[in-house]
Amino acid sequence: MSKNSFFLARMLMWSLLRRRSRLLIALLGVTIGATVLFSLVTLCYDIPRQLSREFRSYGANLVFVKAGGVGRMSLAELNQAAALLPAEQLVGLTPLRYESVRNHMLPYTAVGVDFEEARKTSPYWRVEGVWPARSGEMLAGSDVAEKIRLTPGQSLTLDGRNEAQERYDKEFKVTGIVSTGGVEDGFMVISLSDMEEMTGEADRLDLAEASLTSNSAALSEISAQVKARFPGLEARPVTRVASSEETVLSKLTALVYLVSLVVLSLTMICVATTMMTVVLERRREIGLKKALGAENRRVAREFLAEGLILGVLGGFLGSVCGLFLAGAVSASVFGRALTPEPQLAPITIAVSAVVTIVACLAPVRRAVDVEPALVLRGE
Amino acid sequence: MFWKMVAGALRRQKGKHVMIAFTVGLGVSLATAMLGVMFDIGDKVNQELKAYGANLNVIPRGASLLGDKYQLAGDDGGEAAEEVLAANYIREDELYKIKMIFWAYNIVDFSPYLTARVKVGNEEINLVGAWFNKHLSLPTGDEVDTGMASMKSWWKIEGQPVDEAFPDGVMVGRNLAGKLKLAPGSTFEAAAADSGLVKTLTVRSVFSSGGEEDDEIFAPLALAQELAGKPGLVQRVEVSALTTPENDLARKAAQNPDHLSRQEWDTWYCTAYISSIAYQIEEIMPGVRVKPVMRVAESEGTILHKTQLMIVLLTILTLLCSALAISNLVTANIMERSVEIGLMKALGATNLSVSLLVLTEMLIVAFMGGVCGYLAGLGLARFIGLAVFGTSVEVKTVVIPITVLMILAVTLLGSLPSLRSILHLRPTEVLHGR
Repeated sequence: MSKNSFFLARMLMWSLLRRRSRLLIALLGVTIGATVLFSLVTLCYDIPRQLSREFRSYGANLVFVKAGGVGRMSLAELNQAAALLPAEQLVGLTPLRYESVRNHMLPYTAVGVDFEEARKTSPYWRVEGVWPARSGEMLAGSDVAEKIRLTPGQSLTLDGRNEAQERYDKEFKVTGIVSTGGVEDGFMVISLSDMEEMTGEADRLDLAEASLTSNSAALSEISAQVKARFPGLEARPVTRVASSEETVLSKLTALVYLVSLVVLSLTMICVATTMMTVVLERRREIGLKKALGAENRRVAREFLAEGLILGVLGGFLGSVCGLFLAGAVSASVFGRALTPEPQLAPITIAVSAVVTIVACLAPVRRAVDVEPALVLRGE
Repeated sequence: MFWKMVAGALRRQKGKHVMIAFTVGLGVSLATAMLGVMFDIGDKVNQELKAYGANLNVIPRGASLLGDKYQLAGDDGGEAAEEVLAANYIREDELYKIKMIFWAYNIVDFSPYLTARVKVGNEEINLVGAWFNKHLSLPTGDEVDTGMASMKSWWKIEGQPVDEAFPDGVMVGRNLAGKLKLAPGSTFEAAAADSGLVKTLTVRSVFSSGGEEDDEIFAPLALAQELAGKPGLVQRVEVSALTTPENDLARKAAQNPDHLSRQEWDTWYCTAYISSIAYQIEEIMPGVRVKPVMRVAESEGTILHKTQLMIVLLTILTLLCSALAISNLVTANIMERSVEIGLMKALGATNLSVSLLVLTEMLIVAFMGGVCGYLAGLGLARFIGLAVFGTSVEVKTVVIPITVLMILAVTLLGSLPSLRSILHLRPTEVLHGR
């Protein structure tokens, strides 16, 4: 280490240690700026994904049916086609089977679903009572329940004839009343396995509802792939859900981006102004150094090195705080953990270092231009 | 003397004060814009979410209960049929009442529907009558234009929109148009399945909805009523209303409003919950049942809530950030003037008078910055609104007191550490130059 650079390092250390309180102010400013930068960029990266998950509460956006909408598909057929769905974007896949059943001679539509999956694809179902957990339990649609005065806890027998014209019947316990404001209000909802056991016919599905976080272009893509590889099946995007989501989601994302951009630029301005005052405050010190024979370049280099240290340190602390902040925001708003993006940390550090140095440049240049005598006299 | 000194200090340190004012202005403009967006975001997003269509279905009370009985009694004629008709249909001339409930201004659009079975060639098809561009004059003196167009934003329509001004102009679903080889402009004959009444219809447009409507024909309501032989009657009404997100009170009320306490009931009735709007429509139109479409209602609540929460968090972050920056600057400014303050104290100024002087100075600067910042913030909010939603965000007046309080608090809090140092300042030491 040359004598010169050793001296520079000692001066730096001294200046950092001596003026602890003011440096803390500057460091605090830079750290906060970096925290905001890191957390906002992380959130911006994550928000479209998170929001798109929230939009899944509108229910299925892709429906599998037999080609042309006529006939029934088998579970194997469905599973083959479902393998085309991107696993990380799949929220739920519910196979559905409809049967005409009777209760006390009155006809009803029974729908067989997988309750676990149905809760994922149709989170908007409002169930008064509890969801069925065991075989032999069912949900009754609110219209049906009102019509035949069903309450949770009651039992009823469903009967009918299967394709082979054999009579079947099975007793069910109603655990809840489901209301959706849609067709489900008029259905008896039972589990798919119960329906297969009741009718004695397995592996017949009318349709399957899939809920994906993909956008509508990706849905059409999947639909085209299914058509090409499985001619017996058809995957129809639910235009109503998909296109509405596109409209709303794009606006919300734009809002978040715009707001973040504004917040970011203003935060950076605030960091810059803080740095400026910190430098301006030290005009006396600069004057003294110059009076003792320091060159302008040397003084400037010292200040910039200080700015660099502040920027890097602040950027590092900010990245750590930002990670926690973004995690906290994600957890409180969306109730889900955030996928950390570690590659953002070096970017944050670099940006805050650049901002601090740039903010130092102008006041340092002004400060080194002053006459030492004037500054030292206190003017 | 006091004001002279304040004015003098303001003039002398112009550069620094401009910087403080600038930072305060930045902080305030950001806070104003964010608060403006925060208070308005609910309405804006709500409006956007109307893209999902109606959130209330109005059906006749008997429709779900008497659906089966209708088959038995419908052909009897006479009194029983009259009763069944009333139980299964809603009178068209009563629909204006929907716009007269307590939350009338939250009803964005509504449209009735009536399905008639018609024969075109050998095909038996559903012809659905609806309102498209219906003008209503309410007894309250209000004029309302409503219809289904804005409630079906996801429909892709090719051709001229259907309008009540063209009583025979219809809109044909894409699948059906392909099957019958119809295009906008062509005409075809439709015969009512029941009465055999034949009408010549003009195709104004072909639409695709992605649902079962693609196999149906949509026509002005009067045409469907004529073909179905049900003059002045409709089967169901879809209502699109702006609602407040559901909460526990709303869920409790949805089960049974009678279980609420008097106070809860008042709160519930006077809040635009989907259940209270449904209740009010049922109140004003006896004989109907209003069912909230859970898919739309619940999701609206979730998405609104999340977006609002996100914006609130961003706003708080912004406020904190600008508060810290302002307090930094104020502290730095006061520390710098230790010599001046030392001199004042040496000349006999009390701690109180010095503190007051500094504070007044800071407040004046902050206030000036704040006013400019507020005006800039209005512009910023407008810009955000226009850029994202295409309509300007109106900054509510409640933002002004919040911003004023914020400036006061931030400047006072920001000056506190430096005021403390003023109190401990010894004139001899600073004047000596240490």
